Amino acid sequence: MTSQKSTREVLLTCIDDIEIIAKELLDNLIAQKQQKPVSAEHSQLVELVLQKDTELKATLKLAEEQGVLQQKVVALETEVERHDIEIRNLQKQLKEAEQLLATAIFQAKQKLQAIAKANSRPVNSEELIKFAHRISASNAVCAPLNWQQGDLRRPYPTDIEMRLGFLGRLGEMNVNGHMSFPELLHRPNHSMQQGSSVPNSQAGTYSWLSQNDLQMPGLSVSHLGVGGGMDHKTPKKENEDVDVMSTDSSSSSSSDSQ
Amino acid sequence: MSTRGVETDEQQRIRFQVELEFVQCFANPNYLHFLAQRGYFKDPAFVNYIKYLQYWKEPAYAKYLKYPMCLHFLDLLQYEHFRKEIVNGQCARFIDDQQILHWQHYTRKRVKLLQSQAEKHLMTIQNEPTPQKSV
Repeated sequence: MTSQKSTREVLLTCIDDIEIIAKELLDNLIAQKQQKPVSAEHSQLVELVLQKDTELKATLKLAEEQGVLQQKVVALETEVERHDIEIRNLQKQLKEAEQLLATAIFQAKQKLQAIAKANSRPVNSEELIKFAHRISASNAVCAPLNWQQGDLRRPYPTDIEMRLGFLGRLGEMNVNGHMSFPELLHRPNHSMQQGSSVPNSQAGTYSWLSQNDLQMPGLSVSHLGVGGGMDHKTPKKENEDVDVMSTDSSSSSSSDSQ
Repeated sequence: MSTRGVETDEQQRIRFQVELEFVQCFANPNYLHFLAQRGYFKDPAFVNYIKYLQYWKEPAYAKYLKYPMCLHFLDLLQYEHFRKEIVNGQCARFIDDQQILHWQHYTRKRVKLLQSQAEKHLMTIQNEPTPQKSV
């Protein structure tokens, strides 16, 4: 295709040629008036003109046909463009759908994972509520609403509470002589009935261990059935921790750590 | 309690209470500082004991805890680096401050919520009489 000339160029060269030949012809005609006639050359020129004229006509016809084809081409191109737009739209919609589905699947998978997780460790709702009450009622995880700087309440057991708890009194017990467990249970009850001088800290004693643990030893024993399984692991550590406990409580009762 | 072998029920009961209280004492950073200063964290027997106490993390035991923050400190105490750091008084004070601030988190949220509700209420009250006023 590149070696052929375009129709427009062919036409234009044709026209140029005709122009040149016509000029020659006219020059010849003018020269004929002044000089001798050169009829052979003249007829040649005329023939050439005629030839160029037919060439021109043929090229014009070709140009007309090409014009019709060009129109068809344009029509087809618009058609192609239209289809192209439609395909692009479809592609966009498919992409959106894919995104939505991917998000939906992802969320569904997460939900399934959460369900599996929840099912693997079921918790009795009543126990959950009991636990929530235990940790919240005493302000252990959430500060009381009227708490200010300088308020002695803390999210952890304070010095005084520690001393008045079972551990602290166990230390005194070891120093003072052997006391049995039921005596230790009854001792705080007795002092409560008399009305102690430090009501807050005594209240601290009870809040320290839940009332359930003190008043229903049966309950704690049944739960210790689980702890009993740990028994065989720790007889050695128990000896050592008893030593630690006794030194610990005796030193804590004599120190002012706060 | 000094005999090795099977514990009686009573001994088990006592041990339960003792360990319950002791593990919850870990929630107090000042107590941890106190223990660190007296060199308890250098005793391998004590370190083993802290490792053993991790059974309180199980739900069957954790439900008896009143101060659940102790479990976090129990985890931290498993690392030697933390045990070394808490000898430092500044460290203990910092932890205490942060703990108290965290403790106040829900309180702050609630106070903010109440404040915003009170403001909204005030706004509605203020907006009511304006149509009656002559402008």
